[in-house]
Amino acid sequence: MQVRVRTFARLREAIGGDLMLEVPEGATMSRLLAAVGETSEQAGEALFEENGDLRAYVILMHNGRRVRRAEAGTRPLADGDEVALFPPVAGG
Amino acid sequence: MISVTEDNFDVNAVIGRVRRPDMGALVTFLGTVRDDGGTEVMELEAYEEVAKKELATIRDEAFAKYPIAAVEVVHRIGRLRVGENILLIVVGAGHRKEAFDACEYILERIKESVPIWKKEIGKGGERWVPGESHGGDA
Repeated sequence: MQVRVRTFARLREAIGGDLMLEVPEGATMSRLLAAVGETSEQAGEALFEENGDLRAYVILMHNGRRVRRAEAGTRPLADGDEVALFPPVAGG
Repeated sequence: MISVTEDNFDVNAVIGRVRRPDMGALVTFLGTVRDDGGTEVMELEAYEEVAKKELATIRDEAFAKYPIAAVEVVHRIGRLRVGENILLIVVGAGHRKEAFDACEYILERIKESVPIWKKEIGKGGERWVPGESHGGDA
């Protein structure tokens, strides 16, 4: 199945822009994050600590809604979903 | 009205759209690009669809919390020079206190949760302005 990944600010620069990724049917958010990290060394470093944990500043959204980091491992994705990855917001 | 746009706005025109005879107070917040020690340009980026929805949610929260009559928010994105307008919030209410309180509430909520980011660019290089909040899920 295909999932659209939107990236913003410093994470957009590190990952290189938005992505369309092919992941196995029923893949979770964590599985998708790993796939994004595998697209390049820079992407991997931007998303993950050396021990493999998701970096503290990464905020996750699934179809326009915030996803708690603790839920990433169990949250299933569906074909055509949109996942967004970004650092803390700084508007205003 | 809520908008996220590259276009500049006319503050008086926006106030003109909001004001009605039953409002005794129109509180306006105007945010501009600050020269933070050599900043020349600021690039603003948004997750636009979500930013618009989030601004509308914040407006609805303000209406639920304060006895106000109107809210207008315009947030610019794109490439802006020092001194240019970034954000306009206009709150119309019967009296000043609720208008000030609601305007501040809206501003603080924007900083906390609307997906917009800013990069300062100057002679010394460029840097992303750090976000103030992680939305309670660090």
